[in-house]
Amino acid sequence: MTRPLLIPLILMALAGLALWLFAPALAEQAAAINLDLRLAAPSSDRWLGTDQLGRDLAARVLAGAPWSLGVAAGSTAIALTLGTLAGLAAAELEGWPRRIILQIVTLVISFPGLVAAVAAVAILGQSGFSVLLVLGFLTWTLFARVIYAEASSVRSRDYVTAARLGGVSRARLLIRHVLPAIAPSLIAMMVFHFADMLVAASALSFLGVGAPLGAPAWGAIISESRPYVYQAPWMLLAPATALAGTVLGLNIYGDIIAKRLGLAGRPS
Amino acid sequence: MTAILTIIAKRAGELILLLIGLSTLLFLLLRATGDPATAIAGADADEEALTAIRAEYGFDLPLSVQLGRNLVRLSQGDFGASLASQQPALEAVLTAIPATLLLAALAMLLTIIIAIPAGAWIGHSPDRKPQRAAALLVYVMQGTPGFAVALVLVQVFAVSLGWVPAIGFSGPASWILPAVSLSLFLAPKLTRVVAANVGAARGEDYVRAARAGGATETEVLFRHILPNALLGAVALIGSQFAFLIGGVVVIETIFAWPGLGRLLVQSTLNLDFPVVQAAALTVAVLVYAVNALTDLAFIALDPRLRRKTAA
Repeated sequence: MTRPLLIPLILMALAGLALWLFAPALAEQAAAINLDLRLAAPSSDRWLGTDQLGRDLAARVLAGAPWSLGVAAGSTAIALTLGTLAGLAAAELEGWPRRIILQIVTLVISFPGLVAAVAAVAILGQSGFSVLLVLGFLTWTLFARVIYAEASSVRSRDYVTAARLGGVSRARLLIRHVLPAIAPSLIAMMVFHFADMLVAASALSFLGVGAPLGAPAWGAIISESRPYVYQAPWMLLAPATALAGTVLGLNIYGDIIAKRLGLAGRPS
Repeated sequence: MTAILTIIAKRAGELILLLIGLSTLLFLLLRATGDPATAIAGADADEEALTAIRAEYGFDLPLSVQLGRNLVRLSQGDFGASLASQQPALEAVLTAIPATLLLAALAMLLTIIIAIPAGAWIGHSPDRKPQRAAALLVYVMQGTPGFAVALVLVQVFAVSLGWVPAIGFSGPASWILPAVSLSLFLAPKLTRVVAANVGAARGEDYVRAARAGGATETEVLFRHILPNALLGAVALIGSQFAFLIGGVVVIETIFAWPGLGRLLVQSTLNLDFPVVQAAALTVAVLVYAVNALTDLAFIALDPRLRRKTAA
């Protein structure tokens, strides 16, 4: 990774650290009810206005960031790990083990995601952890398919054949020779997946099966704004802009990485 | 011909395996969630009533026996009745399908009407100022979550202007907002793909040859560039339509649209396994059919593939 690509990562890490340090103070402020200040418009005192209970929206959106971003990061990590393992295994193994893996991939892709989400939340309880697990276990197939396709083509290249004939073990072959060749598309896909998971987690919170009741996740704040949107449009604008802005930033970052690493851009 | 029959037979076999797997997974997931007897009798039912219900529905049998029974019934086309309303599960699903299909067809049509001209316009001269502004707008739209857009549309066009109903399924006026919300969510991606394909086709040899042969710019665009560019968009249109058929839960919830997505979520919350199963299997079959049709469309539209399949 070259320097310009690292800068956004460092900035994100710093922002994450700041959010983590100020989390207790933010959480307190995000929950502070002030009924005299219900649905107040944005002002120099309350930058993004207040909600139906007079809670500061700027504090709520910031306090909701760790939940939304954490769930997206966790589910992306699960999907990436499972998908890479399954994709590499399917490319390396032949015959029925490959067919079984690919059949499982088809099965999971056609699985109705919301049913799984609602059921899992019912089993595990309404928490970020259950949303993270569900999203991860529902979407690893997207990585698996791409990695299977790319690894299959890389495996037939001359340098891999040469290494194989030279007596390199299967595991070493995959880790040292195949994986580095598909790493660029993996990195770009990871960024895009993170953005998609952010939207998915917010959609679940919006439906009321994501964040725990009352937690200031972005999707939950958007959902709370529904009865008041006309009176107080800032209630929708603050969390929706945070969500859309983050997704947009991630898409731009992913496109830059893809271009820099010689890929075609966001796969559709 | 036999080649095509083999493909169809293989596809059908895959679909059956898929349905068995799906039904087993759903069964395990929903049985792990809670006691279906409580869901039928209500939370305050006494132990005696619960035992009676468990015996009646066979919930007291070992899980493997219940699972086997369920598969046998399925193979006979028996989806069972809703635990909540006693309505046949398949009937509940069949009533929800028209609303979902209608919304999917409208949204897809609108998406195509917006995205293909816009993509062709942007892709044909991507370096001009208006096109670059449009491309930027498309890029921003692609990152905007659909449900936020839907909420804004409801507020502006239903609540404050009062032009169309905010929710419900009550005639053409009520179809507009859900369809527009969905197509605003889908069109940016399709626009970008069409624009990229048109842009790539511009430099191809056959386009240069057509120009050298004296074809006008309009002819080049409509007869040479677009047919090839749209071929690449077919895959995305297919997967977007499959996504729409699956029941778009969030949009259906916002607009109180009586489709498959809402049915799936409600029945899951009610632990109503027969309805969940019937709805999920129906969605799986529909999505599978759309994907198969997309593959067929490719073969029909691309003569190169036709030759390959025939050989």
